[in-house]
Amino acid sequence: MEAESSTSNQQRKRKRSASESSEKPAQSTWRSDKEHRLYSSKLLEALRRVRSGSGSSSPRTDPPRSRAVREAADRALAISARGRTRWSRAILSSRSIKLKSNRIRVPCPARPKRTELERIQSAADQEKKKSVVLQSKAKVLGRLVPGCKKLSFPTLLEEASDYIKALEMQVKAMSALTEILSMFGGGTEGAPGMVQDAGAGTSTGTDSMPPPA
Amino acid sequence: MSSRRSHSRHSSASRITEEEINELVSKLQMMLPDAPIRRNSRVSARKVLQETCSYIRSLHQEVDDLSEKLSELLASTDTDSAEAAILRSLLMQ
Repeated sequence: MEAESSTSNQQRKRKRSASESSEKPAQSTWRSDKEHRLYSSKLLEALRRVRSGSGSSSPRTDPPRSRAVREAADRALAISARGRTRWSRAILSSRSIKLKSNRIRVPCPARPKRTELERIQSAADQEKKKSVVLQSKAKVLGRLVPGCKKLSFPTLLEEASDYIKALEMQVKAMSALTEILSMFGGGTEGAPGMVQDAGAGTSTGTDSMPPPA
Repeated sequence: MSSRRSHSRHSSASRITEEEINELVSKLQMMLPDAPIRRNSRVSARKVLQETCSYIRSLHQEVDDLSEKLSELLASTDTDSAEAAILRSLLMQ
């Protein structure tokens, strides 16, 4: 039975590596302009839905609104991953649960107390001790990356590195979007003239043009 | 060593070679913000994991702050004009 599962694992790994080799190498993933643009347009779509969804609520920052934005951004990010990684699939499958678990900050699990016997043993195998420390850290990491609580060590590290790159792109895209939005909107004190013109431009074309003399 | 991948969750780290761990850890270290280009001195794996955790947490925090800012902006801007502007800037990139 073990042989079967290992071969199926190997097959899966081969399939995954084959699909990954046809994609760009890991280095340029999440960093290319094309991905950036793809994510930005998906983000925009999702944000538009958020805005149209909560039309009646007050315009002030109610927590659900920013939470909805975060969810939409995470979801768009996960979709951009095209199902290559576990964390993206985890986000897409169970979003609300993940957010709840993100809020709760679980402290690092305490190292197991060492008995007499273990103390003798630990002197002998330093490797085992090191792996225990690493595993406690890895557990913390596994809680931070969605859907990675019970992965093997190398897989967890791989997921984490991909997740970090994706998050960096998310931050870049969202801050760029924030900049643009704050230029063009940002309340009524900013540049009401600009907003007025743009608004008039969408409704009727004649207002934006000066009347012919 | 029959298989590289470990089946059980705990105490199977010995099956994964230390080489693999160090390689992955150094790759992870390269992505951290202040990743020094020192190949000689090996930073302990524990430290790298710790920094990775805190880096991911700070990224999460950034995304949360940005979400809040975005939600504020979304509420107060005229969406159509803003979207037109965004689309234009996206295409120009």
